[in-house]
Amino acid sequence: MDSPLLRRLRRDLFATPLDGLISIVLVVALAASAAGLLHWALVQAQWAVIQANSTLFAVGRYPLDQQWRLWLLTILLAAATGLSWGLLRALPRPDRPARLWPFNDRLAAVLLAGLALGLPLLLRLGTAIQLRWWVITALLLLARWAAGRWGRRIPDPVRRWIPLIWPLLYLLGMVLISGGLGLVNVSPSEWGGLLLTLLEASFAILLCFPLGVLLALGRRSALPLLRWGAVLYIEFIRGAPLITLLFLGQNILGFLLPGGLAPERVWRAAWVLTFFAAAYVAEAVRSGLAAVPLGQLEAARSLGLAMPQALIHVVLPQALRVALPATVGQFITLLQDTTLLSLIGLLDLLGTARTVMANPAFLGKNAEVYLVLAVLFWGCCAALGLGSRALETRLNTHSTAKA
Amino acid sequence: MIEARGVEKWYPNGFHALRGVDLTVEQGEVVVIMGPSGSGKSTFLRTFNALEDFQKGAITVDGITLSDDLRHIDAIRREVGMVFQQFNLFPHLTVLENLTLAPVLVRKLPKAEVQRRALDLLERVGIAEQAHKYPGQLSGGQQQRVAIARSLCMEPRILLFDEPTSALDPEMVQEVLEVMQGLARDGMTMVVVTHEVRFARQVAHRVVLMDAGVVVESAPPEQFFANPQHERSRQFLSQIS
Ligand SMILES: Nc1ncnc2c1ncn2[C@@H]1O[C@H](COP(=O)(O)OP(=O)(O)OP(=O)(O)O)[C@@H](O)[C@H]1O
Ligand SMILES: [Mg+2]
Repeated sequence: MDSPLLRRLRRDLFATPLDGLISIVLVVALAASAAGLLHWALVQAQWAVIQANSTLFAVGRYPLDQQWRLWLLTILLAAATGLSWGLLRALPRPDRPARLWPFNDRLAAVLLAGLALGLPLLLRLGTAIQLRWWVITALLLLARWAAGRWGRRIPDPVRRWIPLIWPLLYLLGMVLISGGLGLVNVSPSEWGGLLLTLLEASFAILLCFPLGVLLALGRRSALPLLRWGAVLYIEFIRGAPLITLLFLGQNILGFLLPGGLAPERVWRAAWVLTFFAAAYVAEAVRSGLAAVPLGQLEAARSLGLAMPQALIHVVLPQALRVALPATVGQFITLLQDTTLLSLIGLLDLLGTARTVMANPAFLGKNAEVYLVLAVLFWGCCAALGLGSRALETRLNTHSTAKA
Repeated sequence: MIEARGVEKWYPNGFHALRGVDLTVEQGEVVVIMGPSGSGKSTFLRTFNALEDFQKGAITVDGITLSDDLRHIDAIRREVGMVFQQFNLFPHLTVLENLTLAPVLVRKLPKAEVQRRALDLLERVGIAEQAHKYPGQLSGGQQQRVAIARSLCMEPRILLFDEPTSALDPEMVQEVLEVMQGLARDGMTMVVVTHEVRFARQVAHRVVLMDAGVVVESAPPEQFFANPQHERSRQFLSQIS
């Protein structure tokens, strides 16, 4: 009876009598609330509200006959995710051998499979939809496995271009969602639910990052006009609540941006989110820049690098590494802030939920709806967090690797 | 190679750091600059590659007159290498990448060719086997040798050293000085700020003493150490010996 697991349990949970007491109380409390939640979810909760509105939650009023485009996009995303994930493990840096299936990866795979199996089942989604989610999850894991297994055999020149599938996929996704290239146009006013939430968040995340970096550089610029402009912008944005900016944006953005860039309420909101998050990203990047010793810039300049080269190749890589955790934290906040869009009348996840709950047929089913919303947001944020952690360990090779 | 005339510099806070400094460095000459802390040695050295600006006087480096013209500054920086007290290696790049970055970006040379040269240089400073490590994995002495190799990889015509051994543990000072001695033997033009008297005696062609923003004395090492002409030099020598 002295297995490693037992020994570890004893060491971690029962080292002293007080530790033991705390552990027991916590375990009992956890078990009680888990049992309560499980009982509620399996017996009391009436998931019909989700079941009946699952499409609404997922994509809003996206035309039924065009929804195959979104399924196709999901399939491509799953394949790309699995591929990138697997390659990340298959191609460790020469100085840092990584394992093909570290513990965290196995945990993530099991969790993913469990969610794909359990959630549709729990919510009693239609068989066809259940099946599709299973296939998509299986595809992701298969791509992960295959890329991990054979990633090394991909010749170097090809490998270098693989990250490009992400920007390409994003552009393709935009076309698939909104139409063009022979596809029927689907107006942004018909987008909704998780689709709209993810679209707004990803748009803002992608654009606020370069904008934030430029603002941070501007704030440290030697040119007073640039410096004061950046300071003014950052402090103004950080001093205003997002919701007021969202309302303001709906009214004035039409005049501020060149015509055609923000004709739709959906796009105006996306730009406001972008401009808002950029100010916070700028502050994160600024602290990163402050962490890079002045000697780095001097060394780069003394080697003849022009200022932009020195920034791009020497200063920013180090600064962004420091700023990464705070920046990702900002992205996660941004994702959650998209719920404010419901207050300006957009049908994002929360907006959709509010219309559903206002429907007399589903009165009093708030708990079910909010729980699903919470799980969906948690899932997205967890994915962002995991991705950034992977990036962080990969970027930190130089400081963690020891001779 | 370097011609400085009446250089004066005020820092933005009004401090008058250089008060009319003159210095001429010939091709292939090794000049050691000594002087008490705060005398303006670093400030003066850093004006040669425009890391510091100056308000009065004129500096000509390798035939190019230093002015506010950015093209001139870039041209000079390509020909003048600098080695810092704190090494200032790029921690996110491997040793090899530290060496190849500037020649590829600035001189636009093919990467393979630069890598070959970089490996030769690492061989020359005695750390070829560390090429794929990161700077953080090397000892101080090794890092400073990488920094020297990094400067050399740009094939500069002049090398500036600002107290290259001051941040090193005593047992690592020698390995760096030996590399510098080798460079001097090969005819590299060097300006070295250092407190290493032995290096100054053995390698320098001329020793310059700075104090309070001016050059007090400039003489061959034999004369400077044995028979200094100025009272201030005698004081300084008695302090460091
Ligand atoms: N950025 C700055 N602003 C104002 N004064 C400065 C600045 N940098 C240096 N100084 C002052 O200029 C003087 C010369 O500095 P410098 O670094 O050139 O001295 P140094 O001879 O290299 O000294 P050390 O042996 O300590 O390195 C010092 O008195 C210093 O306090
Ligand atoms: Mg100094």
